[in-house]
Amino acid sequence: MHATERFPNLATAIVLAALVVLPFTVPATLASQIAIFATGALSVVLLLGAVGLLSFGQGLYLGVGAYVCGILVRDAGIGLIPALLVASLSGAVLAGLLGSVIVRRHGVYFVMLTLAFAQMGYFVVLAFKSVTGGENGLSGLPRQFDILGLSIADPLSMYGFMAGAFFLVFLLVQRVIASPFGSVLAAIRENEPRSEALGYPVARYKTAAVALAGGIAGLAGGLHVIFLGFVPPSDIELEMSQRLLVIALIGGIGSPGGALIGSAFYTIVSEALSEIWPRWMALIALLLIGLVLFLPGGLWSAGRRISALFERKIAHD
Amino acid sequence: MMDRRRVLTGVAAAPLVLAAPAFIRRANAQSVVDVAGVYSLSGTFANVGSGLNDGSKWAIEQYGSAAGNKLNYVLLDDRGDAGEAVRKVQEAMTQRGIKHVIGCTNSAIALAVQKEVYARKGIYINEAGADEVTGKDCNKSSFRWPVACYSAVNATVRPLIDKFPKAKRWYTITGQYVFGDSLLSNCKDVFKEKGIEHVGNSYHSLSDREYSGYIATAMAQSPDVLAICNFGNQTLDVVRQAISYGMKRNTKILAVWSTGLDQFQALGPENCEDIYFGANFWHGVDTPGSRRVAEIVKQKTGDVPNYLQACGYAVSQILIEGINKANSTDVPAIVKALEGLSYEGPTGTEMIRPEDHQVVKDYYLMLGKAKGAMKDKNDLCDVVAATKALPPPEKTGCQMAASL
Amino acid sequence: MSAQLLLFQVLNGVGIGMIYFLLSVGLTLIFGLMRFVNFAHGAFYLVAAYIAYAVVIWTGSFWWALLLGPAIVAVLALVIERLLLRHTYSLPHEAQILITFAVALFLQEMVILIFTPLGHNVPVPPALSGVLFLGPYVYPAYRLAVVGVAALVAIMLWIAIERTKMGSILRAGSESAEMVGLLGINVDRVFMATFALGAALAGLAGVLVAPLRGVEPFMSAEALGIAFVVVVVGGLGTLSGALVGGILIGLVQSIMSTLWPEGAQLMIYASMALVILIRPTGLLGRI
Repeated sequence: MHATERFPNLATAIVLAALVVLPFTVPATLASQIAIFATGALSVVLLLGAVGLLSFGQGLYLGVGAYVCGILVRDAGIGLIPALLVASLSGAVLAGLLGSVIVRRHGVYFVMLTLAFAQMGYFVVLAFKSVTGGENGLSGLPRQFDILGLSIADPLSMYGFMAGAFFLVFLLVQRVIASPFGSVLAAIRENEPRSEALGYPVARYKTAAVALAGGIAGLAGGLHVIFLGFVPPSDIELEMSQRLLVIALIGGIGSPGGALIGSAFYTIVSEALSEIWPRWMALIALLLIGLVLFLPGGLWSAGRRISALFERKIAHD
Repeated sequence: MMDRRRVLTGVAAAPLVLAAPAFIRRANAQSVVDVAGVYSLSGTFANVGSGLNDGSKWAIEQYGSAAGNKLNYVLLDDRGDAGEAVRKVQEAMTQRGIKHVIGCTNSAIALAVQKEVYARKGIYINEAGADEVTGKDCNKSSFRWPVACYSAVNATVRPLIDKFPKAKRWYTITGQYVFGDSLLSNCKDVFKEKGIEHVGNSYHSLSDREYSGYIATAMAQSPDVLAICNFGNQTLDVVRQAISYGMKRNTKILAVWSTGLDQFQALGPENCEDIYFGANFWHGVDTPGSRRVAEIVKQKTGDVPNYLQACGYAVSQILIEGINKANSTDVPAIVKALEGLSYEGPTGTEMIRPEDHQVVKDYYLMLGKAKGAMKDKNDLCDVVAATKALPPPEKTGCQMAASL
Repeated sequence: MSAQLLLFQVLNGVGIGMIYFLLSVGLTLIFGLMRFVNFAHGAFYLVAAYIAYAVVIWTGSFWWALLLGPAIVAVLALVIERLLLRHTYSLPHEAQILITFAVALFLQEMVILIFTPLGHNVPVPPALSGVLFLGPYVYPAYRLAVVGVAALVAIMLWIAIERTKMGSILRAGSESAEMVGLLGINVDRVFMATFALGAALAGLAGVLVAPLRGVEPFMSAEALGIAFVVVVVGGLGTLSGALVGGILIGLVQSIMSTLWPEGAQLMIYASMALVILIRPTGLLGRI
């Protein structure tokens, strides 16, 4: 993340504009989905972009948040906002617990630990099938939700809620990156041994970042469940972790705005492509290869490069 | 279904595009009814999804129209994601006004879509395997064609017990998930009733591929019969590995839940011979209904129908039969017409039970034959028994509303 | 559990373990020298298995499949290394993980495109079908043959790595690729050869395991998962690590299937997590 990205007003404006325009360019239900996965992808962007930690397991926390929210909303009769908060919290707590242990390892070992725990998550869901519904998922959730008396049942209001949730998390992530805490995370990303030598409790900072990312993913899971009206087991499968990672990479991990761009791109393209060619994933794979080699900053950085070109042009003229 | 145009140009075009089909429809003399098929053409269930989709699509093509309405098939590809399925159904029902929905690639999708369609007062015919679809999650909108765990177990275990009265020791290998557990508990009920000694059970997880340990444990008990209670590739893996360890010599092997031809082909004749399989459909059973399916499949592929195509066909057929009997596309009328309806389906005369909207049909017990005895490349197994065994309605846990 | 069953589970576990060794050794070799985890490992396994299926269908000969599978996959790996991977060595390790992950995705889709998503059977070569009677135990002849091949591969690799010039370059490169370069050896070529060898080994495993499991497009996930667990437990980068890790995981899986069958899969991932946390270099690793 660059110094200019610290709580930049331009990025915020772009994201806000995109959120406002979205429901007019795609069906509202698709827009809600974009917002939800953008929220999930923010957890990857935070970890990889801000701290340099590659996690193949954010889907675990998304899944946990989804099941917690689903069970609370269905059985405990708790309201929408409290259920979402608890879902987010459970993601954060689990991530904090696992994280405190995982962050002791570095590089590829860290990645593989996230993978191992992600696999175990799905197994646990199947093992406790009387609670989670196993491979059938959890259905029977209420369909009508009210925020302060306003119903969000129709697609546009639902989108408004999802977009609002995403925007709040987006602002939070921006804030975190711009804060002293975020500076330490950046220092850890750039040179961990040095940060350690300077006296920072690196493990604790990393754990906090992992917990925060877990909380964000948990919230995304809860939002997904509210949107769908049921809990699909695919929310906790490895494929979800991979999807969030792919979305974050496409959008660009260099900035939180990348999560929205990536989610919009991935969702719209897969929707459009899957009807033409069932093997659309092959194209996404090629795109990923291209991005890693030529555009590691993802689409967001492409946007910045284009705008930089314009700036240069304006400066020259 | 999303129109790419809407995405790429978007904005003002959107409302016009939405309204257009309605204008066109009104301008046309004959009315058209859209039938949405919810199937996965990509993702881990792609093989299942595309077969089912073919069946449903071809049935609609073959019938062409119902009660004077032209049938238009609309594919909703959920990419193997239950969430995507729900979203697409939501969109189809709210934006396009579609009320007739069929199909699912797995039970999670079916259960989710079922609730969605019911909430919007549509009608939904699916082919899921989970008990809950016509059990505790049943609703007035939804109907299911294949029979589920109770029927599968009772139509295979009972005839096998009758055939081999001396085979008293049974071992089970079970997938530790809802479906596998249901097969197992139904097996246990039959075992108890028939005085069978259940000498042991090995659970395995959903992603297991190595079964040698479980097979060894089973063989140590010297069972007369090994009953396999799982589904999909896991059934194939257990059968293949059990045979490789020579279990066939002393033990009869029964795969309670199988999808028939495509699985037999995946196993090959050497792995089918002398193995017992349960199946919801077999092309070799000649009935007026199966002939219809065979006709369109032969036209499209030049080959005989497999379970996936027949199943996809069946769900379309049920909807069309309902529309025809009600002589209307009005959903409550179709629902009423379907309850108690008898028609010629792919397995013969089939009837839709009003209490839980489950189709009453045969489930087959099949026996694999030797390569030398095969009349053609598809003649891998013979039907040994065909039974209509359904749980009594009060035992299913279904509480059906009086009206939609 | 009776003593007889226990002994069988132990023996069976060793057998499974040798198969798992074969699945994993390619991954560990690549990591040892090139210091990245090849996420396309499962895809090479998958492609070779399908090549085996195609060859057996067309020629009826499993032996041709055994030759062509690894060979074609090695060539594929060479192409991938030259075209794609080469450009990522200077990038952070995430880049290699992500590129190989994307390659795996692409290859899987290509397999589905060519062969359809349905699974297929690969018949066991007739010469090896049937069972062997070892005392009170029954063991499939083909499985025993695969275990034998795995043992042979282990011996040959050991000889190659410990006793040949190429092997010493590999070992030196594992310590420091920079030093090897300074000594005048073309490190690029060594990397390429190692990547191809690792892929060929994955391919060999794919061909050999195909008659045991059949082929289906998502079989790569299992291979990758097992390989990860085995090399982490045994020690990333060492041949002996892959061997010990494989046998250990095979034993765990086999014994668990009698003691706690539903937990067998969980135990595998739990072992991996445990080893990373307690002794990340694995039982025998040095990195």
